[in-house]
Amino acid sequence: MQYMALIYGDEEVWASFSEEDTAAAYEQYRAFGRDADAAGVLAGGNELAHTRNATTVRVRDDETLVTDGPYAEVKEALGGFYLLECASLDEAIEWAARIPGAEHGAVEVRPVYVDPEEAQL
Amino acid sequence: MNYALLIYGDDSAWVDLPDEEKMALRADEMPQWNSLFEELGKADPNVTGKELDGRYTARVVQVRDGERIVTDGPFAETKEILGGVFLTDLPDLDEAIRLAALIPAAKHGSIEIRPVLQ
Repeated sequence: MQYMALIYGDEEVWASFSEEDTAAAYEQYRAFGRDADAAGVLAGGNELAHTRNATTVRVRDDETLVTDGPYAEVKEALGGFYLLECASLDEAIEWAARIPGAEHGAVEVRPVYVDPEEAQL
Repeated sequence: MNYALLIYGDDSAWVDLPDEEKMALRADEMPQWNSLFEELGKADPNVTGKELDGRYTARVVQVRDGERIVTDGPFAETKEILGGVFLTDLPDLDEAIRLAALIPAAKHGSIEIRPVLQ
């Protein structure tokens, strides 16, 4: 069963990090990635650019509306995610708690929707 | 350039419907999704996508002072929540915008395009 671990954090905290802090944080993430990979639970993961680089698209009455910025201004923004292959929600929560971002921000765990009737992309 | 197309929508009206009604609504929208998948596949043959399960399935995990705190989610207290994501490799933002506008959910929700860091 696949779970998405969505990592939310305060982007200003990251922005305030010294080069050393940033390197240390990335090393923590790499260590998590190595552990999760070694355990066979890591199915993917991506870091997203800062929300200032976001573009939001909506279609209303057949018109495409494009705005700069994220879909909603929030203090703690989605900064990245891991895709975890786990036997149960409990196992996914175990791994989510080991993601460095869980100590400062929050990690949201969501099962990936599986519909056997639908062709998977 | 790699882009994540994050699909935000309000699932509150939807999530409590009986399964048959959900399936019927999904079936109604399926042709639009299929033409989207076709366009995405043309633009990036390696595109991947994941749909997330509804808001009741979300758990929020935080660690404070070494202690694990698990609460019911979703984390964001917004009406629209993340419902799925496509990961794409596209020539530019304009192409990402064109494809984002083809996502059926763009008609009632929002698609946030974020560059993916390498």
